[in-house]
Amino acid sequence: MGEVILTMKGIDKSFPGVHALDHVDLEVRRGEVHALMGENGAGKSTLMKVLTGIYTKDEGTITFEGKEVEFHNTREAQDAGIVIVHQELNMLGHLTVAQNIFFGREFKKGIGIDDRKMNEEAAKLFERLNIDIDPTTTMSDLTVGKQQMCEIAKAISHEAKVIIFDEPSAALTEAEIEELFKIIRDLRAQNLGIIYISHRMDEIKVITDRVTVMRDGAYVGTLITEDCTKNDIINMMVGRVIYEDPKTHSMVPEGAPVVLKVENLNAGKMVQNVSFELHKGEILGFSGLMGAGRTETARAIFGADPKQSGDIYMNGEKVTINTPQDAVNHGIGYLSEDRKRFGIVVQKSVAENTTLATLKEYLSGIFINKRKEEKVAQEFVDSLATKTPGVDQLVVNLSGGNQQKVVIAKWLCRNSDVLIFDEPTRGIDVGAKNEIYKLMNKLAAEGKAIIMISSEMTEILRMSDRIVVMCEGKITGELDIAEATQENIMNLATREIS
Amino acid sequence: MANQNTAVAAKKKSSLDKLGGQKFIVILVIIALFLFFSVMSANFRKYTTIVSILDYSYYIVLMSIGVTFPLITGGVDLSIGTGLICYSLVGGYLISFHNFPVWGGMLVTVLFGVAIGLVNGTLVAVMDIPPFLVTLCTCMITRGLGAIIVGGFGITWPTATQPGGWFRNIFKISIDARTKIPIGIVWVLILVAVMSFVLNHTKIGRYTIGIGSNKEAARLSGVNVKFYHIMAYVISGLFAGLAAIAYSAVFATVQPGTGAGFELEAIGGAIIGGVSASGGAGSVTGSLLGVFVICLLKTGLPFIGLQANWQQIITGLVLIGAVLIDVIKKRREVH
Amino acid sequence: MKKRFFAVVLGAVMAVSALGVVASAEEVTANGDYTFEIIVKSYQSSYWQAAVKGIDSEKEKLGVTANSNGPNAESDIADQVNMLNDAIAKKPDGIGLAACDQEAVLDSLQAAKDAGIPVVLFDSGVPDAPEGSVYSLIATDNYGAGATAAENLYEALKDKIAAAEAPVRIGEVNQEATSESITGRGLGFIDKFAELATADGKSVAVVGNEYYVNNCADAGDEASADIIIEVAVPAQTTVELCATEASNIMNKEDLIGIFGSNQVAAEGILTANGNLGILGSDPETSVLAAGFDAGATIKAAVTDGTMFGAVTQSPLAMGITTVDVLTKIANGEEVEDVPTEGYWYNAETIDDESIAPNLYD
Repeated sequence: MGEVILTMKGIDKSFPGVHALDHVDLEVRRGEVHALMGENGAGKSTLMKVLTGIYTKDEGTITFEGKEVEFHNTREAQDAGIVIVHQELNMLGHLTVAQNIFFGREFKKGIGIDDRKMNEEAAKLFERLNIDIDPTTTMSDLTVGKQQMCEIAKAISHEAKVIIFDEPSAALTEAEIEELFKIIRDLRAQNLGIIYISHRMDEIKVITDRVTVMRDGAYVGTLITEDCTKNDIINMMVGRVIYEDPKTHSMVPEGAPVVLKVENLNAGKMVQNVSFELHKGEILGFSGLMGAGRTETARAIFGADPKQSGDIYMNGEKVTINTPQDAVNHGIGYLSEDRKRFGIVVQKSVAENTTLATLKEYLSGIFINKRKEEKVAQEFVDSLATKTPGVDQLVVNLSGGNQQKVVIAKWLCRNSDVLIFDEPTRGIDVGAKNEIYKLMNKLAAEGKAIIMISSEMTEILRMSDRIVVMCEGKITGELDIAEATQENIMNLATREIS
Repeated sequence: MANQNTAVAAKKKSSLDKLGGQKFIVILVIIALFLFFSVMSANFRKYTTIVSILDYSYYIVLMSIGVTFPLITGGVDLSIGTGLICYSLVGGYLISFHNFPVWGGMLVTVLFGVAIGLVNGTLVAVMDIPPFLVTLCTCMITRGLGAIIVGGFGITWPTATQPGGWFRNIFKISIDARTKIPIGIVWVLILVAVMSFVLNHTKIGRYTIGIGSNKEAARLSGVNVKFYHIMAYVISGLFAGLAAIAYSAVFATVQPGTGAGFELEAIGGAIIGGVSASGGAGSVTGSLLGVFVICLLKTGLPFIGLQANWQQIITGLVLIGAVLIDVIKKRREVH
Repeated sequence: MKKRFFAVVLGAVMAVSALGVVASAEEVTANGDYTFEIIVKSYQSSYWQAAVKGIDSEKEKLGVTANSNGPNAESDIADQVNMLNDAIAKKPDGIGLAACDQEAVLDSLQAAKDAGIPVVLFDSGVPDAPEGSVYSLIATDNYGAGATAAENLYEALKDKIAAAEAPVRIGEVNQEATSESITGRGLGFIDKFAELATADGKSVAVVGNEYYVNNCADAGDEASADIIIEVAVPAQTTVELCATEASNIMNKEDLIGIFGSNQVAAEGILTANGNLGILGSDPETSVLAAGFDAGATIKAAVTDGTMFGAVTQSPLAMGITTVDVLTKIANGEEVEDVPTEGYWYNAETIDDESIAPNLYD
């Protein structure tokens, strides 16, 4: 670790009705990876937006390379050497990799753009980062992991001195995360300051040097990563103790009836001959790497995508599911991994979203019974501990974790027999995660059958009664929780690749 | 890893297919249509008919070149059709009633187009009003405005034999009464080449694609998104102005109140030519080819003896087909 | 058959009423010092200036007062309504009106009726006018105007048709097949041309657009006909589609004459000819084209002989007739609707005093 390159001191920022940042401090040194942690809504993103000039601070000072600075837009921050690699990839899918990297500051040749030079420069960048990407590839043709690499290359090309990674690993496979870490270590060795935002505790321990924790918009403290345990950090974040113990044995009662049976389901390349059974009161974990076909399987079962063949039985009876509507009518609920696109209507209120799938029950004649709707919504807000000023709040104003809770409420409200949770805790902070876990256990105990698709091994091992592992569109194995370990799951998940 | 690379390579191939494929299909369609009409009607394969098709296509091609830009940003410009008539009326009015020289009238025509484009762009980019709404309003406004400025009457730009009629030779050189050289196609092709370059190799084009691809990302890259968003509509207006000159040069009297529907042929042509209805992708050459499909249909169907109603049905079916290709393409991309 | 009967009756009625106009025009005398207010659609345009000219000459002849006025543009509907209301307030002996808008004038027409002021409409009717407010409508007889074009074209082509060894073709381009004025002209042309040819012992068939084929007096049989009248209607009312339809017909070798039934259609024919170069004034060497209305392009084409001739409506005659009818009403005489004629003009007559004022640019 070198000298201090960036200091944020006493940063204060209020929005109408919300005190988003309450005198927050942050210090970053050259050649360190500095984790910024906190639950959703703790103010991490706001702090970074203040730093990069998207928001203007109300109070406080930012000192960068010994001088007090104030950026008015991302461009100024970039020019000074502070760049951000966003959680949601900011790529322009129709343009090439090189065109993306140099977007906004193209090399000129006469009146035109010098694409050749941009390709050469991009190739140099990739060489420096030791990444194998062809700069002339169209962006949308790359995998998510490779796209992330391009984002990093873009950040570095700005002569960056401080790079902010905002949940960079959220969409990456294990192998891609390894590659990412290698790059981050390289950058650290080149004496850059790196701010690393993530929810994944394991990563924090592996990659970061120091950790700054925020809670409810306020600064809690800064620790040296090596000197603290996971639980220390979590305790600082949530102010209470959380245990992440794996389940040791199945909680499903002996002889529980089969609720959902899928036989030889085929839907494109990603779903090949998928067969499994789901019992009453069971949490069936679907594990596998990104692109293993888990989400595709769920979508095919739910009728969201067409299937070529295969039979689905509900409670022993064969059913036809061609549309999500059919699925809902047969008592299947699906909580999409991509909430913004499929799960919620962001411009509607919490109450309206909660009752979206069950609106019929809230009608008085042709009118919606607002009071009943709000009462039910309030119950779910309470039981799920959704952080919202009220049930009339627009969902767009909630944090990701709280949006997820609204989606869960929607399907709970519907009283579905089978619930498919697709990455239920993606982008959700530790405290809220725990609540969602408790909730899923409670639902299983009440006799709901749950399919949980998850890329987090700890989540799979903690929650599942039984685990189905997929790889490249096929089920490669099925494990009872008693016999499942991280190792044998990974073995099945990579069976055909290696 | 090896598997992943082949997957990338396979996807790359399909993307090539995506860009070049539709143009290739459109060229095949053009050839097929031309052969079909030529076989069905002896009169269709005459030189004079080809000159006519070109004559009647210039203004649509020019509109289409321009509207490709707003379309690629994910927007649309519905004001170009009635705008064209409005600009042409005003330019012709100044020439006929206020002794403007013809070049002066042409300049006003083009500048008027640019001005309306500027209004459209500002409302869309700065005020953040949906393009459909903005340009629908300017479509109505230009329709009324042209009529009011000229007093409700048809305007005739100077005829070929009148003083100032030289401008009609921009698009067609007469050797004698029966021999014409459709020189306009040369200018149109040059403009297509220029705007292709602008779209693919200049900042304006790059940022136009960027806005249609991911506006927020473009903004976060420090690009003055508003300026380039406005520019897309200014280009559309500029080319509506140029189209107005082409229209005035080819046809006799410009009638107020007409022009609605021209924009649909230009936009339809662009979409047939591969401009994505949701923005981000498209090419100027594709739009040119797409417009020729529409113009071939418009000219060819009467020649094979189809009556008015059938012409409309077939043109509509072809457009639906083109939009369907776009939708199917998009659906494939999602998976 | 019904249509055919209708056409015959219509023709007869018009012949009688046309005679009536001529007869009454000579008879009209003013039995008092009448004052009329006459409002045209636009005071600026040459077309309406021609109407005003007719009004002025007739008021001097009859010794009555007729104040004419009109908005700057046909689109200035509100201005015209104001002028109409001012006119009613002056309590004249009668009002002549060429309404810019059929709806906007309804209240004023009611007011005129309540004030006991008779209104005569000219050029355009107001279908929903209050019962009893409008005494007479003076407008172009479109069917007759189409027939006028047919008479002149047939006269020029008669010898060629008589000498023809193979069937010959006459084209007709109509902008659309819905409005009464255009269909009237189109059918008037077809029926008159067929009538004249049949009288000379030639058989006629009508082909092309369904509306005109089904509604003309006799569609005939294409296989055995000496003369084929081909009617084209574009898919949309745009000039380039009119031109496309025209070039389709004009490309046919057996074509000897073609008629465009309004300005757009006639200009479409001229646009098509821009590439084909087949039109002229000599039936032996070229195809003869007849147009309708005026405009700089058509006037230039008629003057240089590219277009054989055209039919114009006569705002001048409408102006004269309007003053006549108003005077008769003031005299207490019974009046009816008056159809005015279309006038044929060609390179020789285009500058005549009776024609030139009717031709707008």
